[in-house]
Amino acid sequence: MAEIVYLDNAATSFPKPREVLERMIDLYAAKGVSPGRGGYDLALEAEEMVSAARRRLCRFFGGDDPARVIFASNATDALNLVIQGLVKPGGHVVSSELEHNSVLRPLHHLRGKGLIDYDLVPFDARGFIDPGDVARAIRPNSQFVILTHASNVLGTIQPVEAVGAICRQRGIPLIIDTAQSAGVVPINLSAWGASAVAFTGHKSLFGPTGIGGLVLSRGFDVQTTRFGGTGIESQDPVHTQTYPHRLEAGTINFMGILGLMAGMDYLDSQGMEAIAQKERTLARRLWQGLAQIPRVKLYGTDRLDQRLAVILANVEGMTPADVAAILDGDFGIATRSGLQCAPLVHQRLGTGKAGGVRFSLGPFNTSEDIDLVLEAMGKICTGK
Amino acid sequence: MDQPAEASRPAGPESLQVQVRSLAGREIVFDSEGFLSDFRQWTEEVAGILAQESGLEALTDTHWQVIRFLRDYYLQNGRAPLHRELKKGTGMSLLEIESLFPGGIKQGARRLAGLPNPKTCGQS
Repeated sequence: MAEIVYLDNAATSFPKPREVLERMIDLYAAKGVSPGRGGYDLALEAEEMVSAARRRLCRFFGGDDPARVIFASNATDALNLVIQGLVKPGGHVVSSELEHNSVLRPLHHLRGKGLIDYDLVPFDARGFIDPGDVARAIRPNSQFVILTHASNVLGTIQPVEAVGAICRQRGIPLIIDTAQSAGVVPINLSAWGASAVAFTGHKSLFGPTGIGGLVLSRGFDVQTTRFGGTGIESQDPVHTQTYPHRLEAGTINFMGILGLMAGMDYLDSQGMEAIAQKERTLARRLWQGLAQIPRVKLYGTDRLDQRLAVILANVEGMTPADVAAILDGDFGIATRSGLQCAPLVHQRLGTGKAGGVRFSLGPFNTSEDIDLVLEAMGKICTGK
Repeated sequence: MDQPAEASRPAGPESLQVQVRSLAGREIVFDSEGFLSDFRQWTEEVAGILAQESGLEALTDTHWQVIRFLRDYYLQNGRAPLHRELKKGTGMSLLEIESLFPGGIKQGARRLAGLPNPKTCGQS
């Protein structure tokens, strides 16, 4: 494989640590039967491994009941589960313009069907929402507030604790999308007064694609929207209402769960704060270097302690798609251009349909990588 | 020449909206970003007209080298070349290709070559 400088970690972390992949495959080769279905020892062992994963994820996200850790395919899938399992006709939802299409499209779909209405709070020039705007957007018929913890475009970490306090005071559930932040920023569902977090395994938790989920707080119920086999109460035509099976139908992604656990082992071995600190240091080097290059425009706060290692840039006079193509084809640097599936962020930034070039760093990037990016961007901007 | 006219297709998402233009004696369908909807409707004359509209006086041999590579590759493989394939196939850097065409690689070279508009929002 050709060597590349990979700066698309906000899409998925790459490469995955080899020990994660080997551990996942070894365990799956030895224990990869259907968890929670058969009564033989191996199936019971597999089920216990899944239960242990639920306990670990519950602790990691600050939940209060491991049975309320629900596995899904990714954050989008988990967000669909919770959104569609909560809405009632005539309801209202509060969200923000920072959201990914994983939130915007389900809400748009439900509004299109005449089921709900919603309001999206704006973000400021630095890339942050104002909790006061959330408070003002809540109506008597608001069913929940749903917010991203960190923007996938700007990397800005949102004031979810302050929003959680407002929601708790108003008695309205808060759901947090942690797709970008899980594994980088500590998350505490209970302390923040949130009702649910949605997560994915394939970004900063270093798991494979295809595994994610929901962590629900005790007492916060989500209606079943998928029905099928659960391995329990099979005689009953009604889908069980016992968690976690209430929201899981069919055989779960056991290999993905094993990979996610191996990824979290890797995260623990390196230390979440140590990884985050390294990424922030590199992001600072990149930001400061890009800011020196004529024609480069940067977006959002320059307070890099308030954002993930995600930087959005544009080159005056060039489309972001072409900048990214040149970075890739001429310099071997992989970035993500376009709208990053968050069109309203670009609408507010004034970056329109073309969007921007997103540089998202990971633990395997080096200062040499950053220097190469700065050299490449310098050449692109001078045409040499 | 060349007065855009709305096609009869019903209004829908922007990506599905098309324009039918009369170019080089033919009715040619374009998408909302000016890409040919049908690769087979492309002719050298159409490319020349689109080039003039984009601000080029004429297509030089260097422009044709890029355009022909893109078309040949697409015909043979059913997809646009990867970035590294474009670089190797033309013998030019992508930075050179970007600066060669007004509109750059996607809106310039690729569009003039009649290749389909890439579906992913960040693809060049």
